[in-house]
Amino acid sequence: MIPEWMTLTDSRELPEGSSAFAVRTIKSVSAAVGKLRFQQGHEKKYAVPALVKLILLVLFIVFLSLNRSVLIMMAYTAVLLLYLSTWPPADILRILKGCLGVSLLTFVLLVPAMLMNPDGVQSQILLVWKVFLSILMVSIFNHTTQWNHITAALRKLHVPGIFVFTIDITMKYTVALGRFISDLMTSYLIRAVGKDDRRYQSLGGVAGVTFIRGTQMNREMYEAMRCRGFTDDYRGL
Amino acid sequence: MNMIEVRNITYVYPGEGKPVLKDLSFCVEKGGCLIVKGDNGAGKTTLFRVLNGLAFPVKGQYFFDGTEITEKWLGVSRNSKLFHKKIGYLFQNPDTMLFCGTVYDEVAFGPRQMGLSDDETDRRTRDCMELFGITDLASKAPYHLSGGQKKRTALAAVTALNPEVLVLDEPFAGLDRKSKELLKEFLKEYHEAGKTLIAAVHDENQCELPAGEVLELQVV
Repeated sequence: MIPEWMTLTDSRELPEGSSAFAVRTIKSVSAAVGKLRFQQGHEKKYAVPALVKLILLVLFIVFLSLNRSVLIMMAYTAVLLLYLSTWPPADILRILKGCLGVSLLTFVLLVPAMLMNPDGVQSQILLVWKVFLSILMVSIFNHTTQWNHITAALRKLHVPGIFVFTIDITMKYTVALGRFISDLMTSYLIRAVGKDDRRYQSLGGVAGVTFIRGTQMNREMYEAMRCRGFTDDYRGL
Repeated sequence: MNMIEVRNITYVYPGEGKPVLKDLSFCVEKGGCLIVKGDNGAGKTTLFRVLNGLAFPVKGQYFFDGTEITEKWLGVSRNSKLFHKKIGYLFQNPDTMLFCGTVYDEVAFGPRQMGLSDDETDRRTRDCMELFGITDLASKAPYHLSGGQKKRTALAAVTALNPEVLVLDEPFAGLDRKSKELLKEFLKEYHEAGKTLIAAVHDENQCELPAGEVLELQVV
């Protein structure tokens, strides 16, 4: 028998409170998960195969790190920025933000060396420039290649199975846990209809449950692998 | 009067070209019952996300109690809270609904949010726990419960808000016979109290719900 209050309509005023943090968390987690899940970026139907892209990327980075000519560096920068300029502004901004952030960090780390050895400033600046270009190339590669294509390319390059397997599983569970957090926060949001005086307790709960879920998924996957004949030997992966 | 009115909605997931819902229209009267059926991937959960203001159609309109629900309207915190107070949503997977330390706190979360007094919160919480047979689990951590117990805890947590519309995504899945009977009885009484019910079920569970309109979704 349902209680009497459940048969009535609640028309009381709800206390004012903000759940903006939940909305922001859901949006950012969903965006990150969506990016991994639907990671296609600018990958065209007839794009260069991931294996070729991966080999070229490694070669370009090695060449860049060995190069000391400013002219070649400028040519590199021009070509990459020209290619990037064909992309939508939002993507350009996202990629440049990441590259500039890492470059800035490198610069800050090199400041003491520059101060102690003013003669080497030029080579330090060159190093920051190289970091910028390397991150830019990796970001472009990442943005134009799906994760499963990257791991397939790594397999073709005979990268050890355990390494590729670890990347694959990490990606898979990042998406799965990301979706779990997003759902959990959504559930919080739709029930947070007023003022949450115990907001930090609730957030702690979300973090704790996510950790437990992660551990559970880890155990379940290991058990599933054992049921399919896995004997802690990574041959055949 | 219509509690829910959906006009020609089309929903496409970001990054995917094919719509999950296409030109879907239906109405549910205040106090009515809508049974949503369809194969896996037909868009039942997506439809429920739209009805709960968690996803927004790329085309068409959705009215709740006479108000058009849009991303902009729900962007206003006050509107969003009022809307979520009136519509309760039971997820298909109860695991993603439980984030508190104990079953009692989980059920009491909604009433506390509503600003009820401690006595009233306690009364509501105990009523809901009793209704779904989880009183003896009050001090247990939700993640230690079985699937069926988690579902009943999630149901108690949703109904503690006393929503006008209850949206249930496969409510009978994972429940044993006794729990099914309990839920069937609750839904019957809740519906008789004039509340609106929308539930996704498979054929074998349709008879467990109060009689209502049936909406059959097809894979697009």
